[in-house]
Amino acid sequence: MHIPDGFLDITTATVTYIIFIVFGYYALRKIRGMMESEMISFVSILAAGIFAVQMLNWPLPGGTSLHFVGGALAGILLGPWLGFLTICSVVLVQAFIFHDGGITTLGANALNMAIIAVLIGHFSYEFLIRNFGNRDSIRFLGAFLGGWLGIVIAGAAVAIQIGYSQSFPYGIAITIPVMVGWHAVLGIIEGIITGLTIIYLSRRAPQLLSIRGDVK
Amino acid sequence: MFLAIIVLVSPIFGIILADIVGFHEPLDIAAERLELQDLSKNMNWTPLFKYNIPGISPEIGYIISGLLGIAIILGAGLIFKGFVKQH
Repeated sequence: MHIPDGFLDITTATVTYIIFIVFGYYALRKIRGMMESEMISFVSILAAGIFAVQMLNWPLPGGTSLHFVGGALAGILLGPWLGFLTICSVVLVQAFIFHDGGITTLGANALNMAIIAVLIGHFSYEFLIRNFGNRDSIRFLGAFLGGWLGIVIAGAAVAIQIGYSQSFPYGIAITIPVMVGWHAVLGIIEGIITGLTIIYLSRRAPQLLSIRGDVK
Repeated sequence: MFLAIIVLVSPIFGIILADIVGFHEPLDIAAERLELQDLSKNMNWTPLFKYNIPGISPEIGYIISGLLGIAIILGAGLIFKGFVKQH
């Protein structure tokens, strides 16, 4: 999911950077005044945890691999603004310290993982909880759907970005089926891990599911 | 503790098993088939490129990088927390 340098042309890179910066500015305004000591600790611990889990690449025979992205989990636990901040800090450390994902493509990577995956995860979960009740089966289904759909839509966004980029020799007619197809399969694991994590937390630490408080 | 365990076992997945089956993300596979050039190595700015540390085995470098990444994120959180407390 991390787009390296050289995959996006200047236009695509610029547009994604602008979206990232505008969303980031808006998110920071939204959470201003809500960043109390406990919340900062939770955000940084969750970010550190997601960073660590992302290092567990599960290689699959055939040459691909999967790893947990965590965007939906952050969105469900913290809401869209703090969830963005959580995944954004992971993506920034990966890019600047370890060059995992490019610097010219940082806006796109943040857009895909810290905005799209987080928003899709958050709203999918909220939609199911609000319409079908707040019980374990719905929580799991909502989190699974959020995790799976978040990865698939983020994968589709990657496909659109590279498909429209002049740096990439093939258009979206090829990139979307390839990326969406792969991520539809790999996203199942993301959904299962997200669902199980939410169920576990709802039973062992239910206060974490409401920690985002009044940040809307 | 949990994070440290994850980082300690991460080279099994990120390095050893990856070498066995040939690790690639879906995007990398597509790019490889298209013979697209990855410019990352040509415009690198960090000695810790892709979680490797020069002069150290990939497995140990992966672990140290993982711990370093966690420390940076938690450290940034602590600094921010201190900043918020002061204001």
